[in-house]
Amino acid sequence: MSMGPHSGTAEQRVQLYEDRWSSYGDSTGLADLSERPTAKTLKAFDLFKEFDDEVLETLSQDISVAKWEAGAILFEEGSYLDLAFYIVEGSVSLFLQKHADAPPQPIYTTRMVTTPEGGGGATKMYDKTVFEEQIEAQKEHQAKDATKMTMLASMDFDLSKGEERTLGSGEIFGEIGALNGWPQSVTARTASDCTLVQIRLPALQQLKRKSKDFKAWTDRLYRERSLWQQLKTTPLFAGADDAFLSDLTQKVELVSCSPGEVVAQEGEATDALYLVRSGFLKVSQRLADEDVAMTYLSKGMTFGEAELLMDGLDAWQFTLTSVGYTELVRVERSDFARLVQRHPAVERHLWEAAVARIKETGATRQRPEKTDLIEFSLEKGLVQGNSILVMDLDVCTRCDDCVRGCASTHGGRPRFVREGDRYDNFLIARSCYHCEDPVCLIGCPTGAIRRANVGEVVEVDDSLCIGCSNCANKCPYDAIVMHETGETWPDTALPEWLRGKDRKVASKCDLCHTSDEGPACVTSCPHSCAFRISTLDEFQQLQAISGAQR
Amino acid sequence: MKPTVPKKAYRPRASRAAASGVLKTAGQTTKRSGATRWANTWVQSPNWFFGFWIVVALCLVIYTLNALFGQVHPGSAWGLSYGIAATILFVAVFLYALRRRLMKVRALGRSWVYLQVHVYGGALFLLLVFMHTGFQWPQGVLTWWLWALSIWVVGSGLLGIVLQKWLPTLLSSGLTTEVHYDRIPDLVSEIRRRAEALVEDADYAIRTFYRDDLAPSLTGPETHLAYYLGASDVNGRSRQFDALGAMLPAEERAKLSELREMVQTKQEIDAHYTLQKALRGWLLLHVPVSVVLIVLLGFHIFSVWYW
Repeated sequence: MSMGPHSGTAEQRVQLYEDRWSSYGDSTGLADLSERPTAKTLKAFDLFKEFDDEVLETLSQDISVAKWEAGAILFEEGSYLDLAFYIVEGSVSLFLQKHADAPPQPIYTTRMVTTPEGGGGATKMYDKTVFEEQIEAQKEHQAKDATKMTMLASMDFDLSKGEERTLGSGEIFGEIGALNGWPQSVTARTASDCTLVQIRLPALQQLKRKSKDFKAWTDRLYRERSLWQQLKTTPLFAGADDAFLSDLTQKVELVSCSPGEVVAQEGEATDALYLVRSGFLKVSQRLADEDVAMTYLSKGMTFGEAELLMDGLDAWQFTLTSVGYTELVRVERSDFARLVQRHPAVERHLWEAAVARIKETGATRQRPEKTDLIEFSLEKGLVQGNSILVMDLDVCTRCDDCVRGCASTHGGRPRFVREGDRYDNFLIARSCYHCEDPVCLIGCPTGAIRRANVGEVVEVDDSLCIGCSNCANKCPYDAIVMHETGETWPDTALPEWLRGKDRKVASKCDLCHTSDEGPACVTSCPHSCAFRISTLDEFQQLQAISGAQR
Repeated sequence: MKPTVPKKAYRPRASRAAASGVLKTAGQTTKRSGATRWANTWVQSPNWFFGFWIVVALCLVIYTLNALFGQVHPGSAWGLSYGIAATILFVAVFLYALRRRLMKVRALGRSWVYLQVHVYGGALFLLLVFMHTGFQWPQGVLTWWLWALSIWVVGSGLLGIVLQKWLPTLLSSGLTTEVHYDRIPDLVSEIRRRAEALVEDADYAIRTFYRDDLAPSLTGPETHLAYYLGASDVNGRSRQFDALGAMLPAEERAKLSELREMVQTKQEIDAHYTLQKALRGWLLLHVPVSVVLIVLLGFHIFSVWYW
């Protein structure tokens, strides 16, 4: 059987694919790619000199040495990578591609997006940078809930419009996005023929854990390249002057936590304010000989402000535990004191956060079932979700109209399964959570899986998907399914291993985001038992009113 | 897809902190009480519920006034008006079926609204039919059938409502697993395969117990009326497992415990099979007769206008 109507686009896009080492963008400029390097090969690079052969042997499976021709696009702005690039030879230029003033693209075109209302086929160029899109998303977020902060996270390079920056031998880039699961904020193009050591995420994490020097180096780069801008655009520090922030940027400590690591222990002396850069932390308190989860912290939230602001509270009132891999900014008590002394607006913001935390934990003490819900949500990843499909099984007649509604709006292929974890009488259906930090996006070789817009729905473009299953394997919630299309890849398909094989595509919930009617699973349910929730509070409200007026 | 045995539901634990009174007890929480839960489940929307009764009251007032000033029969102006209103309502009620078949047309709105019209409109339709006939037995054969079928359709619909409100609560509160009806045979096969693999090298007593008592019930899904009463162990297997476990060495007890879990899962699947079958089966009482009613109603309208 021949390819379907998308074959042209698919082939064109597939030509851009090389392998996992050129995980996004055009690889026709890739001149040579090494096999798995030996420890001896790696030791030739400054980056790996301090490690012994045994460590390098472990790391080597996630490292490759690539030679690129001048003008090759290594990755594009907004793409998600699980790679960092260390420049051995040559130079790489970084620039903002999604802007009209961006340098011209002599060899390759930029990514195009299909406009939802375009009637199919209409395309437009991005007219905003990732940074600008994030600021808009933040404003919207703030408008909805003023007590919550959104921390800008994709600023691995703080470039202004039209600015181009060149990195040379001995420099590293892409590591901030890879380590934090953030989209790249710039496009990277080789300015000359280059030799690059390409390091995938598992090796990066090990390097950071095993080498203090490497950690210090990447932390320094982070401070230099993006921390100032990140702090400046965080609402907490919005009022602080530039000089103070520059000073703070040098003084704060960047803390990386492993799963289960205790950041602060209840009862111990409070010595700092923590700001969450990425990941989740459980806030618990010892009550009646057991640790009770009171709340959790996510990106952009602070912790320790109550203890530092209130007289007489010299010890942590809660225990703070990292749920997965977490990145924090640690502000020393003395710096904190200077901060609030010089900037009353910051102090006011912190007081609001402190009061909100006290209210929240007080509410949890009043509602013991919430602590269970927090534990459950942290364990099952619900806290990551922006839109979680929940079904009230007390009301659900198992008619499957939700599945049929979904299928009928997606060409007969449902995008979720009416199965999953159960919490009390609620089913958490196996449907995309549209995560805050979607790991499924990382490493997609063709950019087929992407956010419709920054901070919005995660969708799959069928025409770009080559069925590699990368996203499906990465999704921790089994929310992405590989579907047979009934087509076969043609003899001209690239990469060659696709030829003659059955064509599969990744399938996942897109929240019916192009429709004004909302998700079909919800609108098709005749018993009004299907809901989309985005916060634990909404879940609690649902528990309280389920079955009542819908 | 290879079947996987369904996972158990997470039940909020009784926190020791809650038990000790450090936290407020569950009884004081905002979680729904039994009465609220019951009321909310049965009356999803008070607006629709009370709106319906207001319309019913209005209809009865109009009919009473109408009857005071003259006899109401199908051929009278008022009787005919009631008949026309009933027919219009019947068409509106039928839209629910169309909505379910036209899911692709997103502009049709929420399915839930159509179901409310279907349920409350259906009940009102019957009242209007009674008003149309003047609350009397119909005279002709066709009209008698129309009258009887209307009662049947609305009655079976009410039965459906009862089942749809009652059985889901049994499924969600009494059972810890969630199962797709269509996948039940596969799941049972998977449990049987696992059970057989487990007992293959187990103690003779376990193998005998499995062969004589358990294997027959693992051949396929089973229906038991006891599941309507919320029973979970319809075969009294727990006692058998307890008795056998007391006689086995520790390592064999672990196997028996695993087997017990499989049997419990199978029983939950049986409960799903029994209850979900009822949730689907009642439609056989409702839908085919509704189709006949539509045809006869069409014929009735045609004959009235033609003659």
